Amino acid sequence: MRLKRTILAAILWGSVGLATLSSGAAAQGLFANLPRNEILILENPEGTIKNAGWFNIWAINAGSQSNGLQQAALDTLWYIDPNRGLDGVWQNSLAADKPQYNADFTEMTVKLRPGIYWSDGVEFTAADVVHTVTTQIKHKNMRWSAALALNVEAVEAPDPYSVHFKLKKPNSRFHALFTVRWNAVWIMPKHVFEKVEDPLKFDFNKPVSLGAYVLHTFDPDGRWYIWRLREDWQRTTLARYGTPGPKYLAYVDPGPPDKRVIAQMNHELDVIHDVAPEGMFTLAKQSKSSVAWFKGFPYAHPDPTLPALIFNGQNELFKSRDVRWALALLIDIKAVSMASYRGAATISAIGIPPTGRHPESYHEPLQDWLASFELDTGKHKIKPYDRGIGQQIAEMLRPSMGDQIPSDPKAIAAAFGMGWWKADAGAAAELLEKAGFKKVGANWQTPDGKPFTVRVVVEGEARPVMTRAGSMIVEQWRRAGIDAKVDVAQGTLVTRRAAGDFDTLISWSVETWGGHQDLSFFLDSWHSQFVAPAGTPQPPRNWQRWSHPDLDKVIEEIRKIGFDDPRGIELGREYVKIAVREMPTIPLMSYNVFTVMDTTYWTGYPTAADPYTDPVPNWANSRAMFVKLKPKS
Amino acid sequence: MRFYATYLAQRLGQFLLVVFIGINLTYLITHLTPIDPVEQSIAAVTSFGNTSPEAIGAMRQSLRELYGLTGAPHEQYLAFWRRIATADFGPSLSAFPTPVSTLIARALPWTIGLLATATLLTWVLGNLLGGLAGYYQNKTSLKVLAIIAMGLHPVPYYIVAFVLLVTFGYLWPLLPIAGGKAMNLGDQLSLEIVLSILKHSILPALSLLLVGLGGWFLGMRSLVSNIVSEDYVVYAELAGVDHRRILTSYVMRNALLPQVTGLALSLGAIFNGAIITEQVFGYPGVGSLLVSGVYAGDYGLVLGVATVSIIGVSTAVLIIDLLYPLLDPRVRTG
Repeated sequence: MRLKRTILAAILWGSVGLATLSSGAAAQGLFANLPRNEILILENPEGTIKNAGWFNIWAINAGSQSNGLQQAALDTLWYIDPNRGLDGVWQNSLAADKPQYNADFTEMTVKLRPGIYWSDGVEFTAADVVHTVTTQIKHKNMRWSAALALNVEAVEAPDPYSVHFKLKKPNSRFHALFTVRWNAVWIMPKHVFEKVEDPLKFDFNKPVSLGAYVLHTFDPDGRWYIWRLREDWQRTTLARYGTPGPKYLAYVDPGPPDKRVIAQMNHELDVIHDVAPEGMFTLAKQSKSSVAWFKGFPYAHPDPTLPALIFNGQNELFKSRDVRWALALLIDIKAVSMASYRGAATISAIGIPPTGRHPESYHEPLQDWLASFELDTGKHKIKPYDRGIGQQIAEMLRPSMGDQIPSDPKAIAAAFGMGWWKADAGAAAELLEKAGFKKVGANWQTPDGKPFTVRVVVEGEARPVMTRAGSMIVEQWRRAGIDAKVDVAQGTLVTRRAAGDFDTLISWSVETWGGHQDLSFFLDSWHSQFVAPAGTPQPPRNWQRWSHPDLDKVIEEIRKIGFDDPRGIELGREYVKIAVREMPTIPLMSYNVFTVMDTTYWTGYPTAADPYTDPVPNWANSRAMFVKLKPKS
Repeated sequence: MRFYATYLAQRLGQFLLVVFIGINLTYLITHLTPIDPVEQSIAAVTSFGNTSPEAIGAMRQSLRELYGLTGAPHEQYLAFWRRIATADFGPSLSAFPTPVSTLIARALPWTIGLLATATLLTWVLGNLLGGLAGYYQNKTSLKVLAIIAMGLHPVPYYIVAFVLLVTFGYLWPLLPIAGGKAMNLGDQLSLEIVLSILKHSILPALSLLLVGLGGWFLGMRSLVSNIVSEDYVVYAELAGVDHRRILTSYVMRNALLPQVTGLALSLGAIFNGAIITEQVFGYPGVGSLLVSGVYAGDYGLVLGVATVSIIGVSTAVLIIDLLYPLLDPRVRTG
């Protein structure tokens, strides 16, 4: 009896203690001493930052980048928005105008915007730009040291608002280094860094800000950072777009996907960076205040990044384009879309992400060419393109998703993509035979009589959507008689990708500006001059280690023309045609990011209906959100 | 006394040997990792932003020099032991140039605070209840407790953690589901901070307690069940000694020895961190640090955490070895 009383008393006291602590919790709120309706809470996908007190972004990999530092506190000369932009795609930020090149692209002059101040009251001038460049050239291990040292012969400031660069060799895209697409060379405060003996060992804590926000507090254990709107925010480049809505920005690590969903349902996380499709569907169903890029299915924001099946071009098996094409024709993209994104994918048959301004420049104008494109299987010619596959995916989903699926063909194309290659096992067999392969019984053999074995490297649990895409492709190839295997790389993917340690790989070698049609952002690295010999590390982004003389000519011509030259689009289309003929990678879909935004406290998020910027919160471009967001009344 | 000195010397020798072999094995394993820290750093720089292939080549070489990866293997090995001798694990390659020791020192108090409390609480509760259940075998309430303990014991930890997370974080949102304390509280020690730390530790500690309790409970109940039929216990009961005294002084004291060994090993293993607990509850600690080090190919960080863990477990074993002769006369005379 006494024992029972003791146990009951223990339970009672435990409950009282829990209730006391919980009531304390309710009184304290999510943030101590800050009103919730003045804070915008965003996910930092870098997670918990182990070196939390490090803000010197110019040192490589030393601290966090997307903890609000690059979105709220740093600035540079130009931004290109991946979507439409606040007042156009191109934004002169610290620069007052576009870059001015001389005729042969060996000099670049920049006019700077006056009246911009660092958060400690010092005016931003050309001396800061010069110091940013010279410091990184002088200290070779800084983030942009190599890129600047390779390009810059001399840099000077003729006056406080002008910078003049002399380049070591012609470079019509030199300004791209200072143009934000996710990030860029951030300008460092000369008056701070000139007093530092070794900029590699300087933590820049507390950071002096050039953005509209300044560091308020941060967690020494790296789980959260809070930035406060500067009192003099009018003296920053963001001010020309209006008054920032949130007084505070909190970049937090909310934990694994399940916890992100719970946190948003509890209204403790305004912007989720990304969740699995299932998490998105749960929020769409259960959280009335949650919105995403598309109002209905497929919800996600298509990033200007193109996941693809990448062949190792230095593997003898994949040197024949007939083999590459055969493997492409054995893929049923509808099944891959369902397996990977549960149908919420935006497919692309060509090597350009179907997002931003690219569909109007590339996908739509090339539809007729794609439809008429012929492939010679060795026995007959086929037209492999089916321009209705995006529509077919939408129709597959309509019975279960109802009015979540758009009916307007243009809306369907924007959401699900346009066409793709028809799965054609017969044509694939003919192409393999043309390349010398033989089918013995139910299995394919290589020309030298060995089983046709293909490893498909996937990242694993860190990137489940892409892993599911790879697994489905393996399944389809196995059904066709190829000895295909999934090879889960986990954390070794980066090392193996650079080393060329793969047969095929689900990854991306195409990333673009999104809002601008110029393709040099990734295409320049596809020139044959950068293909590393087998066994040596490959520099980004030509992971397929493939080159073609015709493509080299295209790239060399792009290098000679200006960034905005309309000829650039024509050359981009030439690249597409070469890539379709040669199939060095099998483009699959855009990298769809399930960014989910809670409207309980804030309204005015970017969406497909008002695509003023990319909502994905680790992009520096997402700062455009701050001036469009308004407190919910 | 002479016996004890010899015993002490043997155990100290074993301790040093275990630590030396353990650290060497860790060094070997970390250096065999297929993950290249230079490629990880380059990927972090180039994943999203603009880059030029020529610049990456130059960056690759200079990072190799900066990270100290250019020397011959034996030179790197000797440099490693020189640093270890001064308790310096070198800089973290994934948080360069911050020293590994700084990162560990920042994370370790959280891990020790949570795991030491949870381990001790689980041990005390499990043994107490297990002892009672073994001694009072006909009590209904203790039978029910035994069923609960046996039911919870085999449930995988992550299931229990997830159920707690959904129950107290979403269905009945009473407790925070992430972090070590509330945001924006400041760094000065205050009652508010202490309460916040306590509140944030409830769910992770409860998850560890629920899963760990069963093991101690069942172990102690089994030990006590055997001891209660020993002659000296029966004789004490027949002699009319108070039941509470029999339980505490005759039964549980004798049953505690193997449990104390288990406790020491559990306390030593605290330095490993509770990887799943820290990941699920977003709790700061060395477990998360270790995982991020492995994924980044950060030899220095992994070696640092592993070395602290090896020394922690070995020291716990050493302490138990040294205490045993004092606690148990049979070891002393044997």
